[in-house]
Amino acid sequence: MLRRLSVLLLLVRMFVKSQMEYRGAFWLDRLAQIISYGAVLLGMWILLQKFELLGGWNWPELALLFSFQLLAYALGASVSFTQLRDLEELVRLGTLDALLTKPINTWAYLIFSGLNIGYAGHIILAIPVLVWALLAAQVEWSIGNALFFAGSLLSATLVTGAVITMIGAIALIWVRSNHLFSIFFGFWELTRYPLNIFPGGIQAVMLTVVPLAYISAVPVAVLLGKPVPLLGDFAAPAALLAGPLLVLVAVTHWRYALSRYQGAGG
Amino acid sequence: MTALIEARGVSKRFRQHKRFPGLLGAFKTLVTAEYTEVAAVSDVSFDIQAGEAVGYLGPNGAGKSTMIKMMTGILVPSAGSLTVLGRTPHEQRMANARQIGVVFGQRSQLWWDLPVIDSFALHQRIYDIPQARYAENLERFSALLDLTPFLDRAVRQLSLGQRMRAEIVMSLLHDPKILFLDEPTIGLDVVAKDAVRRFLAEINRERGVTIILTTHDLQDIETICPRLIMVDHSKLIFDGELGRLRAALGSSRRLTLEFATDPGPLPLATATLTSDEGLIKHYLLEREDVSLVHVLSEVGSTRDLKDVALHEPNIEEVIRTFYQGRNIAATATS
Repeated sequence: MLRRLSVLLLLVRMFVKSQMEYRGAFWLDRLAQIISYGAVLLGMWILLQKFELLGGWNWPELALLFSFQLLAYALGASVSFTQLRDLEELVRLGTLDALLTKPINTWAYLIFSGLNIGYAGHIILAIPVLVWALLAAQVEWSIGNALFFAGSLLSATLVTGAVITMIGAIALIWVRSNHLFSIFFGFWELTRYPLNIFPGGIQAVMLTVVPLAYISAVPVAVLLGKPVPLLGDFAAPAALLAGPLLVLVAVTHWRYALSRYQGAGG
Repeated sequence: MTALIEARGVSKRFRQHKRFPGLLGAFKTLVTAEYTEVAAVSDVSFDIQAGEAVGYLGPNGAGKSTMIKMMTGILVPSAGSLTVLGRTPHEQRMANARQIGVVFGQRSQLWWDLPVIDSFALHQRIYDIPQARYAENLERFSALLDLTPFLDRAVRQLSLGQRMRAEIVMSLLHDPKILFLDEPTIGLDVVAKDAVRRFLAEINRERGVTIILTTHDLQDIETICPRLIMVDHSKLIFDGELGRLRAALGSSRRLTLEFATDPGPLPLATATLTSDEGLIKHYLLEREDVSLVHVLSEVGSTRDLKDVALHEPNIEEVIRTFYQGRNIAATATS
């Protein structure tokens, strides 16, 4: 087990080393990311100067929602997004075939050989905003609340990774999967806002079929003691369980997709 | 003893979305859910024993790579049974992986931006190769294929020939029992091809590594593989020694007779006249049991025969003739 872990760490080291072959571009990229997400946050701030509340949420609460979502996404996506987005290309070019002949878990190899340190930009922006928002918003801190915060952040990270893995795995069957990622990001942008501002249909979708509400609106609302549409009292356990449950679904789906893999080309 | 690889009636069919021609057809393709089944491998059976070197030959799309992918556990056969080292490859892909080496000519397994040696080091860790054995293999193979000068260079800076040599060395570092190579010499220059071929032949001979390689290039097979498996349109059409292929495919030898004085038309029972230039006449020897002696005794000593040339078709001609014949047959029936 420990030995397997050391192989994965070596994979990460090698990937970082390859990235550093282009380190100028790397840091420029991070700067661009911070600026683009910063602009989104600024847009929300401007909006709140005019309206003061959005669905009953004030500025510090929305900043908490935004930073929680950004952090959970960055952590979850760093272990899934670019790797699974590129899976389509690996399938198309046949590179995946070579991976399948190695005595190592294919998903683990894929994830750790491409562990995206590029999300550093998201994290550099999210953490200070999160810390400020946690202090500025009216969170009633207790041990239970603190544990819930840590647990739901972890769960949100898992939800992100699991959903992205499920979308990416579709490439194993249909070769193409990237169009589904555009749908994912469509819903993902909605998760920067409180769930209650959306019509009931969208709320239901985001709590079930595209379960992205669990990466921000549900846990943050619980933390702030706000009501969660549709879930009510079940919001807290749902936020904590969503991650582990979706991981199980994603693992099953990944295995199924791999068994259906047809390869591409000769 | 059971065979290292046993294929019994192995088939692989791919489901393809049915496509309709033209722009309207493209829309139709989008909204219909009709599938056509394409057979990539149909009812192929063979046994491969330990230590053999087998060439898997066939034109593009004949199902060569698909067979390799089934033997390495990447693809699941649609029908038939396949065992490699006593295991069903796709069910025990990981266990199988430890004992086989795989080289894909057209897809690299090396890390593009890192020195070659880094990819090797990762390979050592993934396959748990003991340090002493790793060092020994690396030294021996690097010497044989002359890798030492570029082991510390980033893979993206290597020539195709250098990269291919590195890929092959990597695939052997964990002492695999079987080495699968999918078109290992594709795109290489003559010198690099030769180096790869001699190395593979030596590995097979000295270490007893069983080699299975697919190729378009007959020279690969002539140098490395005493045994040839030939496939066409997903079916196995020949399995045996390379030398037997000519007889099996019924290719004819060509005979040229040159006379000092024109003997006039000269039809023979033992050979078929194909062209007559007067002094020089060309024949085909279609029957394997007819030798040059038979032909010459039929021609007789009274004619003013000046020179005789018997032309054995090389293997490439044999196969080309076979495929051309098949195409003609296909056109005739369609």
